[in-house]
Amino acid sequence: MIRLTKLQVRVVERIIATIPLALAVAVAAFVFMRMLPGDPVDIMMGEAAGVAQGEIEALRRQLGLDQPILVQLSNYLKGVFRGDLGYSIIRGRPVAEVIGEAIPATVELAVCAMVISVLVGVPLGTASALKQNTALDRATSAASFLGISMPPFWLGIVAILVLAMNLGWLPTSGRAPYGYEPRHITGLFILDSILTWDPEALAASLRHLVLPSLTLATGVTAVVVRITRSSMLDVMRADYITFARAKGVPERAVTVKHALRNAMIPTATLVGLEFGSLLGGNMIVETIFSWPGLGRVVVDAIFAQDYPVVQAAVMVYALTYVGMNLITDIVYTVLNPRMSI
Amino acid sequence: MRTRHFLVLATIVALALGTTAGVPTLAATKLSVIIDTEANRADEAQAIAGYLQQVGIQADVRIWEWNALKEKLLAGERQLYLTDWGSAYFDPFDIVVPKLRTGDRGNYSFYSNPEFDAALDRALAARTDEERARAYREAQAIVMQDLPWAFGYTLLTIEAARSEVQNWQPAMDGRLNMHDVSLSRGDTIIIGMGTDRIVTLDPAAYRDRHTETVIRNIFDGLVTRTWDGNVVPEIAESWERVSDTEWVFRLRKGIKFHDGSTLTADDVVFSINRVVLEGGMGDGMTSPRKGLLGTVQRAEKIDDSTVRVVLSEPFPVLLQAMVHVQIVPMAYVQSVGDDGFARQPVGCGPFRFVEGRLDDRVVMERFDDYWGGAPDIPPVGPAKVRRVIFRMMPDPTVRVAALMSGEVHIIQSVPPHMVAALEADSRIQVKTVEGTTAYNLEMNVAKPPFDDIRVRQAINYAIDWDAIIATIYENNASRLASPFLPSGFGYDPTVRPWPYDPAKARALLEEAGFSTR
Repeated sequence: MIRLTKLQVRVVERIIATIPLALAVAVAAFVFMRMLPGDPVDIMMGEAAGVAQGEIEALRRQLGLDQPILVQLSNYLKGVFRGDLGYSIIRGRPVAEVIGEAIPATVELAVCAMVISVLVGVPLGTASALKQNTALDRATSAASFLGISMPPFWLGIVAILVLAMNLGWLPTSGRAPYGYEPRHITGLFILDSILTWDPEALAASLRHLVLPSLTLATGVTAVVVRITRSSMLDVMRADYITFARAKGVPERAVTVKHALRNAMIPTATLVGLEFGSLLGGNMIVETIFSWPGLGRVVVDAIFAQDYPVVQAAVMVYALTYVGMNLITDIVYTVLNPRMSI
Repeated sequence: MRTRHFLVLATIVALALGTTAGVPTLAATKLSVIIDTEANRADEAQAIAGYLQQVGIQADVRIWEWNALKEKLLAGERQLYLTDWGSAYFDPFDIVVPKLRTGDRGNYSFYSNPEFDAALDRALAARTDEERARAYREAQAIVMQDLPWAFGYTLLTIEAARSEVQNWQPAMDGRLNMHDVSLSRGDTIIIGMGTDRIVTLDPAAYRDRHTETVIRNIFDGLVTRTWDGNVVPEIAESWERVSDTEWVFRLRKGIKFHDGSTLTADDVVFSINRVVLEGGMGDGMTSPRKGLLGTVQRAEKIDDSTVRVVLSEPFPVLLQAMVHVQIVPMAYVQSVGDDGFARQPVGCGPFRFVEGRLDDRVVMERFDDYWGGAPDIPPVGPAKVRRVIFRMMPDPTVRVAALMSGEVHIIQSVPPHMVAALEADSRIQVKTVEGTTAYNLEMNVAKPPFDDIRVRQAINYAIDWDAIIATIYENNASRLASPFLPSGFGYDPTVRPWPYDPAKARALLEEAGFSTR
C-alpha cells in the first residue's frame, strides 16, 4: 500500500478533476466552432476554379459534416476517449501529429521568454523597491512602462529591421538554418543540441531565439518588475520585517530570506498565468518570426474552420492552464508553508 | 376625446406605412447605401463611399469577416459589396461562368440574363477556338451593357529577388519554377513564401496555389504553362483531340522518377484517375482536385506511351486544366499508401524531396537524372541550382527584411508600399506580373435600387478607379473594363473601362428618382 502525503493526495485529486473540465471544454469548442458561418469545405473550396455544388456536398459527406450535429459530437467524444483526436480537415494529417509537431517550438520560445522575464524582472523590481524614489527606481518604472506599452507586433518588426536587417547581427526569422538543426530528440532545439552535443546547432538555435524571445519577454518582464516592486514595498513595511531588523538580522538576510520570499507570492501567480498563456503560443510573435509554433497552427485552423484541430488545441490550452495553476499552487506552499492547496 | 386619439394614431400609422411601402412622396429622397467589405479593402471602401457621396449618395462602409458577409449576401440581404474571385485557367470558364451565369456558385449579384447564359453555353459547346472566342465576346458585350458590378481591377503580383538570382521570372499563375533559375553565387536558393503553411506534398490532396507552387518543383505534368499563361508540352510530347469527348496524349520516353523507375502510361493513367474517380485515392477518399478537371471522366492506357482521356461532355479548357495534374509513380504510391506518399513524395520533376515541415520549410535537391523539362521553356536539362528551400514566412515586412539581409533569395507578395525601397537597393530586383484575381464592387441586381440599370450606370460613372489604384495601390493594379480578364481566352481588347463622370452619375440618379443634393 502506497502512502501518499496530504500534498500528493491533493495533487492527484486536482489531476482527476481536470477530466470533466477537459470534456466540457471540448464540447464548448465543438459547439462554438459550428456556430460560425460557413464550413471548412466552403472555405477550402473558396473560389477555387470550377467547383460544382455536387463536389462540395461529396466532400462534406466524406468528412462526415453532413451528419446531424449530435451524431458528429458523439463520434468526436468517442474518438477523444479512445485518444483519437481525428484528422485535420485542411492538412489531411492526424491532429495529434499537427499539434505535437508545433508544441516544442512554442515551449522553447515560452520557456526562454519566461526565464528572461524572471531573471531580469525580479532583481530589477526588488532593487527599485529597496531604492524607492531614487534615479534607479524612476528609470526602472519608466522602462517598465515603456515595455508594457510597446505592442509585440511593432517591437518585433522594429527589432528585425534594426538588428537583423540593418546591422545584420541576428537572423530575421526561423528556428535554425537548414543543416544546422540538432538531431531530433525532444524537438526543443537548445535541449537537443546539448543532449547530442552539437555546438554549431546550439549557437544557431540560440541566435534564432534571441529576437523572438526578447520580443515576447519585454511585456512580461515589465509586468514582473511592477508586481515585484509593489509587493516588495508592501512586505518591507510589514511588522515582521521591523521585528527581524530589531532582532539584529543582517539587512541582506532580511531582504532575501524574509522579504523577497513573501513578496514572491504575487509574482509567482503572475508568472504562472503568463507562462500558461505563453505556452498557448503567441500568434503575433510566431507569425512575425516565422516560428512554426502552436499559435500559428491554431489561428490558421480557426480561419479555415478546421474543427478537429481547433477542438484539440482548445483542450490543450485548458489542460495547460490547469497544469500551470497546479504548479503555481505547489510553488505557493513552498514559498509560504502556511498555505495549502 | 377617444375619437381624436384614434384619428391621430391612424394618421401616424398611415404615414408610417406609406413611407415604408415606398409610396411616392413629393420630395425625392437621397439614395442611401452601405458598402460591405472585408477589412483588407477597408481603405478602398472608404474611398468609394467618398466618391458616392460626391454624387449625392449617402454611403457608409461596413467591415465584415468574409464568411459572415458571404452568408448574408447569398441570402440576398446586402446591396453593395466588394468581392474578389481568382481564375486559374486563363479562360472565362472559371471566373465569368461561376460569377455571372444564372444561379451559379459565385453569382453574388443575382445577375441573370438568358442571352448572356446562351452565349456562355455556346462558348462551352464550341468546336473551334474561333467559335468559342466569338461566343465569349458576345457575352462580354452583353454583360458590359447590363453592369451587374462596378468593374474594378486586378492586382499585380509583385515578387523580388536578390541580384545573384538569374533567369528569374514571376509567373501569372503564381508558380515559382526553380528549374530555370541559376545563382551567380552559391548553389542553394531560398524562397520566402507568402503563406503560413502549405497543406500537403501529395499532388491529389490540395486545392490552393501555394501548395502547387512548392510541389510543382518535385512533380511534372503532361503539360505546363509559360509564365504568361500559354500551355506547352511537358511529359506529353503531343496530343490530339480525337472527338469532343476524347483526347489522346503521346508521352515522352525515358522519363525517370526520383526512385529510379521509368514513367509509363500506367503512371499517367493512375495519376489522372486518382484525381477524377469517385473514391480514387486510398481509403476510398475522393480528391479535392476532382472539380478542377471538369468533365474528365477517366484516363485509359492505349499502349506504353499513349493515354486516352475520356470526357463526359466537351471541356474546352482541358489543356489548361491538365497543367494542374501532377504525375505520380503508381507502384510507389501503391506500396507506401497515401500517407506514406505525402510524407516522402516521389515525382519526376527537376528536384527531389529531401525533408520538410509544411508550416516551416520544405527542402529539395536537384534530381540529376531529370529528363530536362519543357522544350518550349529553356533552359532544358537538369536544374542549375543544387538545392531549393521554400520557407513559410507569413509576415510581408519580415520577408522583405530577410531578402535585404540576404537570408532568402526570392520573396513572394511584396506589399506595394515597399516596392520603392526595394527598387532603390542595387542588390535587389523587383518584377511584377499581371494577376489573375479580379476585384470588383458587386451590386445586388435582384432588389431595388440596383435593379434599375440607371442606378448601376450611375455607380459605375461615380467611382474614379484610376485614382484609387494610384493612391491606395500605388499603381500596382490594372483597371478592368469588364468581368473578363485581359489575360483570359477570348478577351475583347477593344473594350474601354467605364469613364469617371460624376455629372452623368448625378443626372442618372435624378432620372431614377433620387435626390442628389
